[in-house]
Amino acid sequence: MNPSIASPVRRACIATALLGALAAATPALAQTSYTVSVSLDYTGPFANVMDSWWGGQQSVFDWWNETRGKALGIKLDVKTHDLRYDASVVARTWPQILSQDKPIVFLGMGSPDLVSLMKRLPGDKVPMIMGTAMIGPLWTANGWHFSYRPTYSQEFAGLFDYLQKRLPEKRALRVGTVSTQGLAGYVDQVNGVVALAKTYPERFAVVSQQWVDNQPVSVTNQIREMAKANPDLILVGTNTAQVVATVKALKELGLKTPIVTSSHNGLNEAAKAVPIADLEGSYSVFAFAPYNDPTVKVAEIFAKYNKTKGTWGITSAQTAGQALLAVAAIERAATKVGADKLSGQAVYDALLAGPFPAEQFLGLLPTVALTSAAPFPTEHLAVKAMTVKGGKLVAVSEDWMPVPPLEKW
Amino acid sequence: MAMLPSGVFFSSHAAERALVRTPPQRLALAALLLVLVLLPLLLNDYLLGVLTLAGVTLVAVLGLHITVGMAGQLNLGQSAFVGVGAFVAAALAAKGWSLWLCIPAAALAAGAVSILFGLPAVRIKGFYLALTTIAAQIMFPIVMIRLPEAWFGGTAGLPVDPPAVFGLVLDTPRSIYGLVLAVVVLAFLGAANLSRSRIGRAFRAMHDNDIASSVIGVDLARTKIMAFFAGAFFAGISGALYAYYVRYVSTEQFTLWLSVWYVGMLIVGGLHTPLGAVLGVLTITALQEGVHAAGGWVMAQTGSSLSGGTVFALTNVVLGGVIVLMLLFEPLGLAHRWALLKAAYRIWPYPRA
Repeated sequence: MNPSIASPVRRACIATALLGALAAATPALAQTSYTVSVSLDYTGPFANVMDSWWGGQQSVFDWWNETRGKALGIKLDVKTHDLRYDASVVARTWPQILSQDKPIVFLGMGSPDLVSLMKRLPGDKVPMIMGTAMIGPLWTANGWHFSYRPTYSQEFAGLFDYLQKRLPEKRALRVGTVSTQGLAGYVDQVNGVVALAKTYPERFAVVSQQWVDNQPVSVTNQIREMAKANPDLILVGTNTAQVVATVKALKELGLKTPIVTSSHNGLNEAAKAVPIADLEGSYSVFAFAPYNDPTVKVAEIFAKYNKTKGTWGITSAQTAGQALLAVAAIERAATKVGADKLSGQAVYDALLAGPFPAEQFLGLLPTVALTSAAPFPTEHLAVKAMTVKGGKLVAVSEDWMPVPPLEKW
Repeated sequence: MAMLPSGVFFSSHAAERALVRTPPQRLALAALLLVLVLLPLLLNDYLLGVLTLAGVTLVAVLGLHITVGMAGQLNLGQSAFVGVGAFVAAALAAKGWSLWLCIPAAALAAGAVSILFGLPAVRIKGFYLALTTIAAQIMFPIVMIRLPEAWFGGTAGLPVDPPAVFGLVLDTPRSIYGLVLAVVVLAFLGAANLSRSRIGRAFRAMHDNDIASSVIGVDLARTKIMAFFAGAFFAGISGALYAYYVRYVSTEQFTLWLSVWYVGMLIVGGLHTPLGAVLGVLTITALQEGVHAAGGWVMAQTGSSLSGGTVFALTNVVLGGVIVLMLLFEPLGLAHRWALLKAAYRIWPYPRA
């Protein structure tokens, strides 16, 4: 106690000092918190891959909060919801998510989120970012749902383009398709490839379309029929069961035709059911870099920040891409409107405010250019692919493979 | 006729035939309706959503009660008829038709389609008829996708705007719950009254013994088709409500799996009364939610030693197990157990006869 200073004066001095200290500390403390809601499936059909799925997203968000978010004065509070990959569960849970979370962006899982929310999002002013490839019928304008991946057919087209250019003679690449009637997404994959062949008849030809059961026991008869048309490759973009059945059929018939798959039914998944040697020369193609691509720096982020039991692979790479696009949009929105004024509308505007350069995605994604004309990029499209070579999964090309332009079918 | 407490008697046939016959029953009904109306104030949006969807399902299961429970015609394609209703409602709503027209049109369309698959019932029954209705289920997505895109959206399906009633847009959980509740009450009354009508009695007679019923003058062919039509009519209404609730319809939403669950709900609740449909839907919905919630809780508590896939599988095992147990120990369903409880309560303290 200093008796030379009168008590009221001393109190005023202390108060001033405290305020000064508080003011000095303000820039460090002024971190605005926003909610990002995430759709997951812990108790539905995709529950078994959920650790890796969520791990990809969680590690990116944690990394971003600790680094770039801190610098911007933003903290993302990520709230997960077990929506069971069920459209009716999504529909009945969404109002609660909206009222309780008040998210500035929502990360969807797949078609149940799309079908239940695409009509609501514009009114609710919450943009949704997907990590799955899209389908042609969802190619509509002015939506609030986006994916960094184009349609499955466009992803396949990127690989077909690459392979056709490397054919020993100048002719069309002959494609056979295996898919299932009655399932809209599966039918659309084939429709898109047929549209590709119609657009570039001198480069691509769909020589045989085989429609099989969704979970077939055998597709040997169908592959035997397809073999008469002598395809260069067989597209099976549907599910792992059909990939496995096609592999077995080819082996049974003594054929060596490569199979082209997507990310969800890719080589990793098929290799769990058949010897990897039987997949020699087959492909998985998608609009993000393979998880084992050495240029993908996100793998290091996953290794450092992942808190789940998931492992770094196709699934976590896919969802990390989803989260990277979300944080890129949030960063851009914060720059535009200010870190303390973020909203769903601001993130939506940021998503449509021009291409996101590939550098922002740490090697995982190509340039992502979204417009209001489609819920996915229609320009700067590029894919990467994996193949089995000598019993090992390797990248088809170190460079991004451009996707040939394809009009809506 | 259920047993009534001593001293309760009726002085007219109409009073005896009424659905609600005694003052305590009226009081109980009024209390139930009041609770149902006030529920939106008590429940959060999620639980309200669960109830709303249960209501949508209930309308379809009430239809199944008519076809299967009342008329004895096996139907494993109810989900396809729900789908027809959903697509028709969505297509008409997109053209600007109001809710008042969309729902009846969806019901009529589903009923009309059901006639195609009800026709074989004229010649076949039992297991073979069940297979025919499965054919409806399998053909539904293939046909819907192949129809011109301008009709039902083709592979894309159809988005649906929230409906409007008297200028009020039903786009909140509470408002859509109100709509579904109103329709459920009407559907329940319709199903309950149908069994007391001439057609309902023909259904019952056919259900008990089709040959004998034809001998006493029931036109079997016509009655079987009507049974399918009535059941699918309800399914169409359910489909329209589903379309308005989820706001998007695509063929993947109406699966054989869903049809099987409808039958399971009816078995658990009881085939033969509308109350059975109510109890079945509520029980199965509660079990589904309960197993998911319990699974999630266990996973959280045990640090995910139980995988999500196990919970998913467990849900189906539990629900399938409940159906098997009901078939073994209470084949008449929960409604029968409820009737026994009521009878025991009414004659208490005397033992059951």
